[in-house]
Amino acid sequence: MRRRTFLKLVSAYGASALAPRPLWAAVKDVEQYFIFVHAAGGWDVTLWADPRNERKGLVEPASTDNTDTAALTRWKTAALDGDAETFEILAPSDVPMRFGPGIGDLYDLRDRLTVVNGLAMNTVSHPDGTCFSATGRHLAGGRAPASSVDVAIANELGTGQLLPDVSIRFPSAYVGESLDRRAIPLRVANAGTIAKALARSGAYFNDDDRAQITALLTDEAHALARHSTFPETFERIAAQETALPDLLDERLKSAMTQKALQAAYPGVPLQAAFAVDAIKRNLVRCVGIAIGGLDTHNQNYKNHARTLQELFGTIATMVKLLDAARLSDRTHILVVSDFCRTPQINLAGGRDHYPNNSALVISPRFRRGRTFGATDAEQLLPAGDKPLSPPDLLATFLHAFGIEPRRYLRDGEVVPEMLA
Amino acid sequence: MRASLLLLAACTSAVTAREAPMPPAREIGLDTTPKERRRMVPPEVYLRAYLGWFGGLAPLDVQARAKPRGLFDAWDDYLAALGLPDYKSDLPRQGQTNTLMLATFGRLGEALCVRAAEHDLHARQPAVVFTFDPDVHTFEDFLPRFDVLHRTFLGYPVRLAPADRAQKFFALFTQVAARHVKKNPLGPEETAWAAVCAALVQHPEAELY
Repeated sequence: MRRRTFLKLVSAYGASALAPRPLWAAVKDVEQYFIFVHAAGGWDVTLWADPRNERKGLVEPASTDNTDTAALTRWKTAALDGDAETFEILAPSDVPMRFGPGIGDLYDLRDRLTVVNGLAMNTVSHPDGTCFSATGRHLAGGRAPASSVDVAIANELGTGQLLPDVSIRFPSAYVGESLDRRAIPLRVANAGTIAKALARSGAYFNDDDRAQITALLTDEAHALARHSTFPETFERIAAQETALPDLLDERLKSAMTQKALQAAYPGVPLQAAFAVDAIKRNLVRCVGIAIGGLDTHNQNYKNHARTLQELFGTIATMVKLLDAARLSDRTHILVVSDFCRTPQINLAGGRDHYPNNSALVISPRFRRGRTFGATDAEQLLPAGDKPLSPPDLLATFLHAFGIEPRRYLRDGEVVPEMLA
Repeated sequence: MRASLLLLAACTSAVTAREAPMPPAREIGLDTTPKERRRMVPPEVYLRAYLGWFGGLAPLDVQARAKPRGLFDAWDDYLAALGLPDYKSDLPRQGQTNTLMLATFGRLGEALCVRAAEHDLHARQPAVVFTFDPDVHTFEDFLPRFDVLHRTFLGYPVRLAPADRAQKFFALFTQVAARHVKKNPLGPEETAWAAVCAALVQHPEAELY
């Protein structure tokens, strides 16, 4: 080798060795699990993350006039005016956070929560807000123009799992030709469907017959791919056929039935039980679930705080179950909603849609026991010249797991202050 | 006058310049290369095909027929898993296939093939799918019968398929038949034909277009 060539090679190697490694290169190999929760319908943030208990500007706080307080475990009465009473804001001394009574049992885990307030939504449409919160993009022509956060995570960290991304009514979107086909979310209406789809009668065929049929179909798909101008589609079918025998494993099927999950996790909502169980069995990388009932435009607003309490109670239960399984340090939960509800009460006694939002993260990769972002006192709108928005949160979330946000997000900046 | 002459000259040249005739159609090179990737058949089309293959029954009749012995549940359980929009749950139509979708189609296909085998081969009622005598001793016996199913489910004769396809399916047939000498509501060959049917109905060529 000539001396000049040798020196060039040495300098190139030296430069690459000294160059700072991006964070995502360092942590990519670590096994992590993810739960994404969609609080469907649009939540009232004044009842949990951004509590208000005074009349100020547009803000009409929750009170005994508009809220059924009987079942609320964290509702402590405070004077409002007249005969009406409102709630006392929960302001713990151990963390610089404030909560409304809707937080319920999750209040006990406050030192593990990261709350983001004042997310600028620029929309008051359910489908658009849902899409914006999950993908960081508004709908284009009625369709999601980018992949959702669960698909991005599954594509980067989950393709080796048996079920990279299970989406039980979560607004998952798989968009783009460059993604791994194994990251396509398994979208189902409820957790029981998965077990039903995998169930097979033992009366006619046995496992050997099914394995032989699957092997034959995989072989056929590969053969067709070899002769096809566009082999990817056949290869995808072949990959999916290859995964089927593992899915049809008897132990897996029997554990995933509605009956088995309810027996193993009594009192836990089915989709939450599925999420925890699938993570404990190391079957999934991402589970997306949706918990609804928050779209309260009229008298049903009276139950809004209780619905929030149930939502956060479910999340608290999941965290405790993961704690018991020693998985909570490797399981990361992101909770989003369509948007928040108006600060004023409408003529029907409810709250309508409002272009502000909050989000919740429970993850050791985030700074815990902190609230980021803010809203103004009188209008409940995102404060500051450049408020946070869902793409910022999603970019930060992806970055926290070593994923280059620009691969999936057009907008959004990483907020390093949020990260641990 | 000068302008008129120029115009006349221009017109004359246009008339006299004859274009070359089009070549005969058989000599024109037609571009037959596919321009689009294959796609999953829309779930509605797939389900309609199923309903047709199994006697033109209504969906609820298919459900009632497929349910016994745990072969199937209810359509409602599978709308999203099959890729259909589920308006009750506000789930949109799915744009891509996934493993669960294939598993669901597999469950449905298995149910309907078994029921068809029971109807056509076992109960010997007027045949809908298996319009042939199921007795097979050699590959030569198998081939014409397999061709009937191949035309039904994949839409073309087996002789136009890759050369080894019939042999692969014959291997499936013989091995399934050998495994089910006893203990089955269907006879060994009936079970084997049901397996061939279940494989064809889930074949990539049946699911894609």
